[in-house]
Amino acid sequence: MSGTPIDRLARATPPSLARRVRGLSDRAIAWLFVGPSIVLLLAVNIFPLIWTINLSFTNFKANRLRDVEYIGLRNYQRILTDSGTWESMQATAHFLFWTIFFQVLIGFALAYLINKKFKGNNLWTTIIVLPMMLSPAVVGNFWTFLYQPQIGLFNYVVEFFSGVDASSFSMIGSTHLAPWAIVIVDTWMWTPFVMLICLAGLRSIPDSIYEAAECDRASKWRQFWTLTVPMVLPFLMLAVLFRGIENFKMFDLVVQLTGGGPGSLTTLTSIDLKREAFEKWRTGYASAYAVILFVTVFGLASIYVKALNKVKER
Amino acid sequence: MAEVTLRNISKSFGPQVALADVSMTVPDGSFVVLLGPTGAGKTTTLRMISGLDRPDSGTILVDGTDVGAHSPAERNMAMVFQQYSLYPHLSVHDNLAFPLKSPMLRTPRDEIARKVAEVAEILQISHKLDNKATELSGGEMQRVSIGRALVRDPQIYLMDEPLSSLDAKLRSDLRIELKRIQASMGATLLYVTHDQIEAMTMATHIGVLDEGRLVQFGPPREIYENPVSIYAASRLGSPKINILPADLFPGAPAGAAHIGLRPEHIRLGEGIEARVKRVEHLGDQTRLHLTINNHDLITLTDPHTTDKPGDTVKITPQTPLCFDAGGDRIK
Repeated sequence: MSGTPIDRLARATPPSLARRVRGLSDRAIAWLFVGPSIVLLLAVNIFPLIWTINLSFTNFKANRLRDVEYIGLRNYQRILTDSGTWESMQATAHFLFWTIFFQVLIGFALAYLINKKFKGNNLWTTIIVLPMMLSPAVVGNFWTFLYQPQIGLFNYVVEFFSGVDASSFSMIGSTHLAPWAIVIVDTWMWTPFVMLICLAGLRSIPDSIYEAAECDRASKWRQFWTLTVPMVLPFLMLAVLFRGIENFKMFDLVVQLTGGGPGSLTTLTSIDLKREAFEKWRTGYASAYAVILFVTVFGLASIYVKALNKVKER
Repeated sequence: MAEVTLRNISKSFGPQVALADVSMTVPDGSFVVLLGPTGAGKTTTLRMISGLDRPDSGTILVDGTDVGAHSPAERNMAMVFQQYSLYPHLSVHDNLAFPLKSPMLRTPRDEIARKVAEVAEILQISHKLDNKATELSGGEMQRVSIGRALVRDPQIYLMDEPLSSLDAKLRSDLRIELKRIQASMGATLLYVTHDQIEAMTMATHIGVLDEGRLVQFGPPREIYENPVSIYAASRLGSPKINILPADLFPGAPAGAAHIGLRPEHIRLGEGIEARVKRVEHLGDQTRLHLTINNHDLITLTDPHTTDKPGDTVKITPQTPLCFDAGGDRIK
């Protein structure tokens, strides 16, 4: 046996395959590996995006394929001046702000407690993380039962602790309570996610840092604010980014829970968009709507990521 | 500054005995070096005194007061950690200022600025004050860690191998600097190392630890000249003390199993024949590796010696240290 490694490799390869492979340059082989992913990406991501932008300038309706006209920016103009759109934007903002607020607060607190070394903290972690593993549609569905004024556990618990009659209020039916009903369920489901990320942050701080602070005569309070919080902050901000993007797109949980009601009080932008696109079949209009949402979330996320990088560098 | 006394301190981590019945006094204003190999209990001793760990039994007194129930903050001791333990998200300046910002001290702002600048100057890190603690080399981190202790005015400084990751030049600079600071402030300092040069040059007292036991405590010269055991004798001296069977030379006292010969205990020129195995010219000194009946020893000779490997020299022991079969000193 002799020759270069390639010759030896060629001899070891079945003749048919060897014949096919030997003719290819490294560059060609590289393209062979990357090609399928690029084709797939173009087909299911890039092309639909460009096509959506194109459609957003037309009055196209997917259930009526004739009489398609380019109407310039009229879709955008109509969306931005429509009061319904702004209501759903407001509902989304309310939902986004309060879910993130509660999830960060409770998630961090839970992580802080779990991180204390005590017996069975692994078991507790598993229990706390359970809601996250359920399907959002299932969660939405069973919370409609928990929210039942007559038989719902939630109303019963509220009555037990506050004395308010359980059948006197409906979390889903009331115009005051419905926006909070979806905040509560999302918080219940996704706080564990924030907790896990915070826990990773807390575990990344070595004990020796606290020992040094102890010797430097820093109180527990000062250790928390000058060491723990700044060192977990990048992790926390990452959790907020994930939850923010997810909740901007929130659909399944809320549809199952309230269907966007009462009225349109919990109609988040994604629900509004789906109705425009697939119930009213205003495809061009919905495309413009989707472009607006995309630009919004992309813009906000970009600003946020910049801030995140700044915090990491600090 | 204060005097620190350990009384019968014992500590185990599971089956591992870290300290066994250690008693010693670190006098006020002294520079005490704990010497011993890895696992001898040096770091554990520091952690006991600082309050980060509690002894299983025994008491720790600071100026006569039992501090067993006191937290590390209440004990007011500055510690330099072997693994630096800098605050990674803070700048070098903020790391140095951190202890001064303790509400227990209430240091005025200009006082903080002055002290930080002063310490940074001594440790040659002034140009790095605005760097983040993670943007430093190992040696720089170690100096920041020393600085974080030096900005304070504690009861006692506890330092755990503070010069271990510095290069030779900086190490010898800081050895002198640390000694100067300690002497001028009258500070009490407990220092852990396994470097005998640091021990010999800086210490007013050396404590030799062996597997959790304090085998000898005293001034460096006393431990060098008058060690209690082979183990203690082996901690100090370069080249290391030669331990040989007592019957290799005539005239060993009764009961002696080993004799210890430092270079100054060996007279060249007459006596028993030894073969030269190797000659090491170090410039200021020349080391002679000899062998007698398959027993190796190292001694010093004239820097300009003409001895070559294969030559034969004659040696006589002079007032050697004698040890019994268990390694303890016979006087």
